Amino acid sequence: MSSPAAEAHAHAAEHPVEHMPTGLNTKKLIMWLFLASDCMFFGTLITTHLIYRKIYANLGVDPIEIFDIELTTASSFILLMSSLFMALAVSAIHKGNVKSFRWNLIGVIVFGGLFLAGQVYEFNHFVHYSGLTLESGTFGSTFYLMTGTHGVHVALGILWLLSWLIYSYTPRFNSAEHAIDVETAGLYWHFVDIVWIVIFTAVYLIEYV
Amino acid sequence: MNVRSVVLRWIPSVLTLLLLAGCNFNARQSYLDPKGIIAERQFDLFMVTVWVTAGIFVAVGGALAWTIWRYRERRGQEGDAIPSQSHGNPVVEIGLIVVSVGLLVVIAVPTLREIWFTHDMPKDDEVSVLASWYEGETATGAEEEVLTIKATGWQWWFAFEYPQLGIVTGNEFAIPAGKTVRVELRGGDVIHSFWVPKIAGKVDMIPGRNNWMWIRTDEPGYYYGQCAEFCGEAHAYMQFRVQVLPEEEFEQWVAERQRPPSPPAGEDWDEFIQLALNEPQSLPDKPAVLGAKLFFGKGACLQCHAIDGTIAQGLAGPNLTYVGDNGSIAAGWMEHAGMDGKIDPEQQYENLYEWIRRSEEIKPGNKMYDVPGGLKDVDLTDEDVGHLAAFLMTLKSEDDEPRELALFR
Amino acid sequence: MKSETTFQSTTMAPPVESPVHEPPVDRPAGRPRSNIGLVRPDGRGFLVDWLTTVDHKKIGIMYFVFAMGFFLVGGIEALLIRAQLAVAENNLVSPQTYNQLFTMHGTTMIFLAVMPLSSAFFNLLIPLQIGARDVAFPRLNAFSLWTFVAGAVIINLSWFFQAAEALGWFGVAGGHTDMVPAVGWFGYAPLTMTEYSGIGTDFWIFGLQVLGIASIAAALNFIVTIINFRAPGMKMMRLPVFTWMTLITSLLIIFAFPPITVALGQVMFDRFFGTSFFNVEGGGQPILWQHLFWIFGHPEVYILILPAMGIISEILPTFSRKPLFGYSLVVFSGAVIGFLGFAVWSHHMFTTGLGKVATAAFSLLTMAIAVPTGVKIFNWIGTLWGGRIKFSVPMVLALGFIFMFMMGGFSGIMHSSAPADAQQQDSYFVVAHFHYVLIGGSILAILAGTYFWLPKFTGRMWYGSLGYWMSGLVLVGFNLTFFPMHFLGLIGMPRRTHSYLEGTGWQPLNIVCTIGAFLLAFGILLFLIDLIRTVRKGPPAGNDPWDGRTLEWSIPSPPPVYNFAKTPVVKARDALWADKHGSSRQKLGGVESGSHGIHMPSNSWMPLVASAGLLLVGVSMALKQAGVPFCGYLAIGGLVITTVGIYLWALEGPGGYHLHPRPNEGGARS
Ligand code: HEA
Ligand code: HEA
Ligand code: HEC
Ligand code: CUA
Ligand SMILES: [Cu+2]
Repeated sequence: MSSPAAEAHAHAAEHPVEHMPTGLNTKKLIMWLFLASDCMFFGTLITTHLIYRKIYANLGVDPIEIFDIELTTASSFILLMSSLFMALAVSAIHKGNVKSFRWNLIGVIVFGGLFLAGQVYEFNHFVHYSGLTLESGTFGSTFYLMTGTHGVHVALGILWLLSWLIYSYTPRFNSAEHAIDVETAGLYWHFVDIVWIVIFTAVYLIEYV
Repeated sequence: MNVRSVVLRWIPSVLTLLLLAGCNFNARQSYLDPKGIIAERQFDLFMVTVWVTAGIFVAVGGALAWTIWRYRERRGQEGDAIPSQSHGNPVVEIGLIVVSVGLLVVIAVPTLREIWFTHDMPKDDEVSVLASWYEGETATGAEEEVLTIKATGWQWWFAFEYPQLGIVTGNEFAIPAGKTVRVELRGGDVIHSFWVPKIAGKVDMIPGRNNWMWIRTDEPGYYYGQCAEFCGEAHAYMQFRVQVLPEEEFEQWVAERQRPPSPPAGEDWDEFIQLALNEPQSLPDKPAVLGAKLFFGKGACLQCHAIDGTIAQGLAGPNLTYVGDNGSIAAGWMEHAGMDGKIDPEQQYENLYEWIRRSEEIKPGNKMYDVPGGLKDVDLTDEDVGHLAAFLMTLKSEDDEPRELALFR
Repeated sequence: MKSETTFQSTTMAPPVESPVHEPPVDRPAGRPRSNIGLVRPDGRGFLVDWLTTVDHKKIGIMYFVFAMGFFLVGGIEALLIRAQLAVAENNLVSPQTYNQLFTMHGTTMIFLAVMPLSSAFFNLLIPLQIGARDVAFPRLNAFSLWTFVAGAVIINLSWFFQAAEALGWFGVAGGHTDMVPAVGWFGYAPLTMTEYSGIGTDFWIFGLQVLGIASIAAALNFIVTIINFRAPGMKMMRLPVFTWMTLITSLLIIFAFPPITVALGQVMFDRFFGTSFFNVEGGGQPILWQHLFWIFGHPEVYILILPAMGIISEILPTFSRKPLFGYSLVVFSGAVIGFLGFAVWSHHMFTTGLGKVATAAFSLLTMAIAVPTGVKIFNWIGTLWGGRIKFSVPMVLALGFIFMFMMGGFSGIMHSSAPADAQQQDSYFVVAHFHYVLIGGSILAILAGTYFWLPKFTGRMWYGSLGYWMSGLVLVGFNLTFFPMHFLGLIGMPRRTHSYLEGTGWQPLNIVCTIGAFLLAFGILLFLIDLIRTVRKGPPAGNDPWDGRTLEWSIPSPPPVYNFAKTPVVKARDALWADKHGSSRQKLGGVESGSHGIHMPSNSWMPLVASAGLLLVGVSMALKQAGVPFCGYLAIGGLVITTVGIYLWALEGPGGYHLHPRPNEGGARS
């Protein structure tokens, strides 16, 4: 993701007068659009799950029974906190404070990793103790596909941020030039976070109201 | 040659010619020749859409053609100043939008009416006469009272079941004329669709869904239906037939179907099968008898086919109880009747023979041949096949006259 | 018949420059290297240059060539279909082959011919119409191209495996032996489950999935380009209509593709991991696939037609020498079509038992689309009205488009009335409807656009009367093929049937259709001949052969690599027309590129590498289903290649060099 962005950046820097000013950075714009598209993506996954859970209910399991709401609440909180770190990291790099940028980035990565670990634990638990597998009916299929896709998004985000962390130690790294790239990655991270809030509400909490 | 003259004169004249020559509007699956009440109303609605859009086509297309003609560049104009640069005219534009909406309303109103008409089971009144076939049972509302047929689509044949009457048929079924019938539609494996154009538009048979439709036609006859949803290899060959019978004839049909046809030898099927198993020599040496022995024995036909009242209760293939009465086999692909509508026994025999002998060539992919337990693994001689065909010919109603089908041609 | 010399006489630009531009190049000494030290593939031989190019014009040309190739493949499949149906109870091809033919025909025509042909026009035109040097992300653009090619290859490779199977070189253990998709272009579940179909379905799933990536990437790129890379003064409401339609189409793509991506993923999981999204036994609902597919599928048909409408909206004003009538309304109606397009998907499901309220709602919403579409037609007539209409091949085809598309639209309206549609759905009436909008619509517009812009991108003018013969033949052949299909549908012929019985009465019309199809094919053959003839020996075209209206006609033909020597400064809608015929305040301005020249990005291998990885993933997953050993590892290998490609792509940087256009060379008119 960062690569085409870098390209546009160079281009824009070359000819600042050429274009109609929309006030939108090109890289951020493409990220916003990608996220809009991703909304439809998660929207479809979540809707599929809810349709199979509520309309063609053929669960085979009782969600309340298998959910460990305390654990999920905790991991959701952790993911939320990672967003806070992300915001701090972006603000740090805009100020040129590379050190603080790195520490905050590590925070995001660690918290994101914790969230993933929680998900791995949860999946493992479901499979081995609750008998909820991909094959066990539509609840399992839709649940794993949806949360799993979200997990893959988180993992890709971690990979991306890790790349920035490593890159920040190379001589090419220039906080002024790359701030916008990091901000773009941040947009992605916040989005993935928000999606989780939606999933958490629509899939987990809804059982408890 | 002038290209414009090709476009303007040739296309319309060729098309008109072609329509006059090629089109048989009351072909047997034609929707332009409706016989059922739903098909009639759908046809009328279609004609509304045709007239409205044809009118618009003439108006808009005419305006377009006129404009092209009127404002074409004429010789000698090439160097002239550019034409006046008009950008738009809000009054005209809004006017045309309003007109379009108005015309759409003309289509929308009957559309809504027909949606409700086709979706609601009619009440028992003079518009629609319901066929009640099992008085005294749990009949409450119109929906339960009415004659119900459960149609299930399988790759690539249809099963028809009359739960209220205890009748099951394959690929051909009958309904009474002038009575409303409810058809429950089920997809056995993949999605199929139930379509008898002359009686009603299609409704899909989808696994996991309980679709239904109602139909009624006042005109007795032999109607052609076809699966209209692509359902795999032999989709093209997945057809069925509906006999619409006058009410008395239908009652007779029901009575007949409720008891099995007589066996080729012996008093009843129990006796025949006892004899076949224990003293096969005592049975006459007729082809039909030999065929029956094969059917219940080496041919393994009974694994997949049912003949009511016998030990043959297989469900993987069409119910063959009265297969000899049908006007066609192989889900409608092989027809026994000629243009006169009379079933030709020789044709029927040949069809049955061919089908059992080489069904995989006639209907590639069919689930009678190359499946576990299918005929691929059964060693039938040509003679055996002939006997089987002869036996199947006997699975029919009593009268000796070849049946006559009220064909639409 | 008028000859093209007429146009030469009204040419506004000075006649004929040499079509070759070799501006002085200012490159760093030695071979350019990327940020990570790898040599960039600049200035190498012909083949490397095309494989690694990031130039939107070259990418556009490649889109065009590949898509035309697939159009021929799809066309040959169509001819086989027509040959099989010519007579009743024919046995030219087996039923399963027939099913494969129409599945591949539909898939090929929609995803591998019309969509990429539209993409070709986006690529060639958008930067030029908005006065930009290139698209926003040139390497992403190359990635879209090669990923499209990868997806197309995945789907079509299935033919080779089928051939290998027929020759006995390749087999599948147990199960279904069909290697080519045979589930119809919308692949209704549960026919796509492993119980009912073979690995053809896997080629189809992975091919479409990869094509989806290509389409979304391209669409994101074009939206950003149109929003952010407009020349100074090119306000949104001054954009050429084609650019507007590209923007709307691209928005449709980014919103319509995710649902089908998810749905294809679900089928994939059902096939590979035993999930039960569409398996009734596990509680799945096959109907869900239909919803997800058509939520994509209906916007998709507008993805196919809006670019065509954009092309028409450029050609009509040019040849009637008037601005587009009701510009804002045309733009707005395009947006409304796109928006409404998301609210009508269930009109493909009128026979699935939606219930009466849903049926009624979708029926009415579908009808509503006639209004914005009508607006476009009315405004096109308004454009012609009072103009001075020149007939030329693009114009003949554009006028043919209006008539033919209108007819297709009207059969669409007949479909939209749900109870009437119950008789039409899945019959040849539908086949007639969509070929009228797709061939009479999209394909005619693409042919028209090709004749219109060919001089611009080849620097050569088509000549002689072959183009007119082609147009006539295509129009006649097309109507002869598809008009009778309306009647075939009405007299009961279901689509997707390999054969029909003698007694059905469908024979006479079918033979007419088949004859028409071969006439149409002959027309297309003439088109190809004319195309090749023009490219090889057409006379020089000049910058502005049609007295054009938009910025692309202000620069030389073919355009130099950097497009505009001076960045144009736009003062009015129809910028070039206003410059030529408008008031003095509307003359185009130009911004010089500064002393260091115009910055050009370097070529790159990485988009190609990243796409190649996806190709490997797709093919090996399908073969994995067939039981070929080690394919799982190959698929992982493919993912690794893609990932490495993306990383190197990020690290190598755009690179680049500077060009100094010769004074007086092209650019904004001055
Ligand atoms: C380019 C592609 C394209 C376009 C533009 C359209 C345009 C339209 N389509 Fe079509 N359609 C397809 C491609 C397209 N379609 C395809 C591929 C299928 C089949 C898929 C498959 O099953 O394989 C299909 C199938 C399809 C169906 C499902 C049929 C079925 O399977 O039962 C329906 C049903 O409503 C429908 C309706 C419409 C309508 C109402 C329009 C409207 O947008 C048309 C609007 C245009 C006009 C009406 C003409 C101009 C207007 C005026 C002159 C104004 C005045 C007019 C009035 C007031 C009426 N289409
Ligand atoms: C843009 C889309 C598009 C285009 C352009 C076409 C073009 C054509 N289509 Fe098709 N068609 C579809 C989209 C399209 N189609 C879709 C989506 C389906 C539904 C599939 C499904 O049901 O799943 C379909 C289905 C379909 C059917 C129905 C099949 C069935 O339901 O059983 C038929 C039948 O006649 C048909 C015919 C044709 C013909 C004759 C052409 C002609 O216009 C083709 C003309 C072009 C050529 C013929 C190429 C040029 C040829 C040459 C240059 C010949 C010389 C060359 C050599 C000999 C090397 N198409
Ligand atoms: C493995 C299962 C199987 C076996 C065994 C089998 N059939 Fe069938 N049969 C079918 C199926 C499935 C069909 C429907 C085929 C179709 O139309 O696609 C069918 C169709 C038929 C039909 C046509 C019925 C109609 O109305 O269309 C006849 C007649 C028939 N079988 C006779 C026989 C005879 C005789 C035998 C034994 C020699 C036999 N079958 C053995 C599965 C079987
Ligand atoms: Cu059953 Cu088509
Ligand atoms: Cu649609």
